Amino acid sequence: MDYAPAKFHKSARELAEPGGAFAYTPEHQAKFDANVKCYPPDQRRSAILFALYLAQRQQGYVTAAAMRHVAEQIGCTPAEVEDVVSYYTMFFTKPVGTYVLNVCRTLSCALRGAERVTAALSAELGITPGETDPTGTFTLIEVECLGACDRAPVVMVNDDWHECLAPEDVRRLVEDLRTRGPAALTGCHLHKEKAAEATS
Amino acid sequence: METVTLTIDGQPITVAKGRTVLQAAIEAGVSVPYYCYHPGISIDGSCRVCVVKIEKMPKLQTSCSTLCADGMVVSTREPDVVDARAGVFEFLLANHPLDCPVCDKGGECPLQDFSYTFGPADSRMDFPRRVFDGEGVKADVDFGPTLMLNRNRCILCTRCVRFMKEIDDDAQIGIVDRGAGSEIATFQEQGVHSLLSGNLMDVCPVGAILTRDYRFKSRPWDNPTVVDTTCTLCSKGCNTSAWLKAKPEWAKGSRLIRMTPRYNPDVNGYWMCDIGRFNYHWVEGESRLRRPMTRNGDVLEPTAWHDLQPRLRDRLRQARGSSESAASSVQAPPVRFLVSAHASTEELFVLKQLVEGLMGSEGLNAVTLAWTTSDKAQPAGTKFKVSRTNAPNVNGARDLGYQVGAGNEGTPDLSALRSAIESGQTAAVYVLDPGPDGSLGDTSWLIAARQNGTLPLLIVQGAVMTDLASAADFVLAGSAFVEKDALYTNDQGRVQAASRAIAPPGEARDDWSILVALGQSLGLALAYESAIDVRRALAATMPDTPYASADLLVVTRPVAARNWLQASNPSERWKWDFLYQDLPPVKGHSVQMEGISPRAAYIPLKLTE
Ligand code: SF4
Ligand code: SF4
Ligand code: FES
Ligand code: FES
Repeated sequence: MDYAPAKFHKSARELAEPGGAFAYTPEHQAKFDANVKCYPPDQRRSAILFALYLAQRQQGYVTAAAMRHVAEQIGCTPAEVEDVVSYYTMFFTKPVGTYVLNVCRTLSCALRGAERVTAALSAELGITPGETDPTGTFTLIEVECLGACDRAPVVMVNDDWHECLAPEDVRRLVEDLRTRGPAALTGCHLHKEKAAEATS
Repeated sequence: METVTLTIDGQPITVAKGRTVLQAAIEAGVSVPYYCYHPGISIDGSCRVCVVKIEKMPKLQTSCSTLCADGMVVSTREPDVVDARAGVFEFLLANHPLDCPVCDKGGECPLQDFSYTFGPADSRMDFPRRVFDGEGVKADVDFGPTLMLNRNRCILCTRCVRFMKEIDDDAQIGIVDRGAGSEIATFQEQGVHSLLSGNLMDVCPVGAILTRDYRFKSRPWDNPTVVDTTCTLCSKGCNTSAWLKAKPEWAKGSRLIRMTPRYNPDVNGYWMCDIGRFNYHWVEGESRLRRPMTRNGDVLEPTAWHDLQPRLRDRLRQARGSSESAASSVQAPPVRFLVSAHASTEELFVLKQLVEGLMGSEGLNAVTLAWTTSDKAQPAGTKFKVSRTNAPNVNGARDLGYQVGAGNEGTPDLSALRSAIESGQTAAVYVLDPGPDGSLGDTSWLIAARQNGTLPLLIVQGAVMTDLASAADFVLAGSAFVEKDALYTNDQGRVQAASRAIAPPGEARDDWSILVALGQSLGLALAYESAIDVRRALAATMPDTPYASADLLVVTRPVAARNWLQASNPSERWKWDFLYQDLPPVKGHSVQMEGISPRAAYIPLKLTE
């Protein structure tokens, strides 16, 4: 069959990095296998978010190779996986820093100075929202409501909230994270409550 | 059949249980616009233009996703429905480029047609449209080897997404990003690679997905005539429409401008494959045979039919005479026929009379049928399986008594023919092949036999100049499937008719008439005036078979698309037939909107007037 030979343009859509060969670690594979059992066999697709979460856990972001792996695991096509990845802002298709700082910019936080938090973080790290600092430690992102409005302004560091983060305290948080690593993530009331429970 | 009765716009309508309100409206001829609904794929309810008012329901409902129930009272013309619908159209056009003058869909575009009929006259959206064109970027992107995608035009109805998922069974298309940023895309921009890709142009209700084959080649008003025919490129026998470009015969370029599927629920549904859709260029291509030719030394020289026929007759008589014993002519006939399964039932019928007239009841032994088979790369669960056999009429040949082996998926057996030729027992081979190049499979051995003299005489009757034809002593120019009224029997044993859309080029002739002339010159009493004549004789000799009524099968001729709507988006022609049956040929005028003040159809530009 001969097709018209003309050459046309490519889309300028930002594509996920191709990435090297990807497969779940045995531990993640076991987690996935356990999770997928929660759904009826004809609705395996329901596990796609968890499958992607594991992939992102494993290498920090979701590459095209990882999407293919997830598609194989779920039994759907890579296009359907890409569909989901592109829908959710919390899936990254480019490498991100060790700590992803998600600054809430929705109403409650905005009223309590979220913009100044973002500005302070930008100044401290030398990056604008959406960027990663040159050392690959921090990525700064502005997001919508994180569901902790009563403790605004909120910044979510990876999976943990840091609540009531006044712009003045930003420098300390960043320093803490640099020096003490994940142990510095104590800004969430859940941590505090847990700690209190443990001691009582 | 269980039925339900409901009222639409005051008209009582009874439909089968399980039909949706939209389907009921279509059946009753009430026009309700729709985009995401397509009868061949699942219901999505995402475009919202099909809204109607249903009594006792708190809000307007999407008719495509609401099942009919007894006693339902539906209204499609009340002012709030009209307003809501116009509102949806205003949004659909918010980002639409309205580049209809350069869009290939313009003139057969449901977005155009429905917006004219149901949309507001004006838009209040005064912000810039979302465009993909920009520095180094185009809205038009590659969408696989057969398609182009114009993202500006897409209205995100997801028909293409559902088609790939449900019919093709390989969901290669998805919607990336979300909300106002949504865009139709394939994984990593790799494009659609499918044997059914051409159908995406048909399902797309706007000019977003276009085939490269048709893009920028013609516009609907340039193709004023259509012929309903069948595809002959495999044994599935899809029902198709051949579109003809308006142009004088002497003007450059081809007449056949595109092939589209024609709805037949029992054979191909709403679809056809890319082989049938795009592989028609050979019919009017460079290598097409336009006149008969005879060999003079090393070259084939064009000649006239009346010169060629007596010479052909003499050579054939000589060949038959060279091995005169009657017994040997039954076991090892001196003249053998190699016939492609692209030959129509009429041709095979005339050929049968010819060989039986010459060689008696064993005559069919001298005929060998040939075709090719190939595995088509398709996903396992596809709803539209293309057949393995690349020829339309193996079953027709079987029904006439030719030896073609059992089953639909058989392969031809040329070994007997080949050994008879290579052992030098055959004085002449007559090839009949109205298909595209390659329909006979490998013919190099036959060419070799002719060239080294093992075979003294080779006659080829066909549509294109193949390697085999260039080795022949006589080349008879026949016609391709769109050039004749012909019967083919598909995989399911259905006898279907293809119709003449265009005339054979130059001096090429109908294949059955070439055979009749040959038979007459050899002294047989074959008297057929037309293909329909042949069909009648065929019907008479095969009572109690589907062929008995073959002469009643419809022969279609190019029909004028009386207005653009009727010739509109081919996969939806059934819709125009229902919805716009009594529509005068004026675009944008809907009979059903008569009597409704035009104001009611618009949202007023200023809310305080
Ligand atoms: S490309 Fe066409 S079929 Fe696909 S979503 Fe857009 S408008 Fe619909
Ligand atoms: S499936 Fe066969 S008959 Fe149908 S369009 Fe394709 S080649 Fe033609
Ligand atoms: S507004 Fe910031 S957490 Fe809800
Ligand atoms: S056709 Fe009903 S919502 Fe699209």
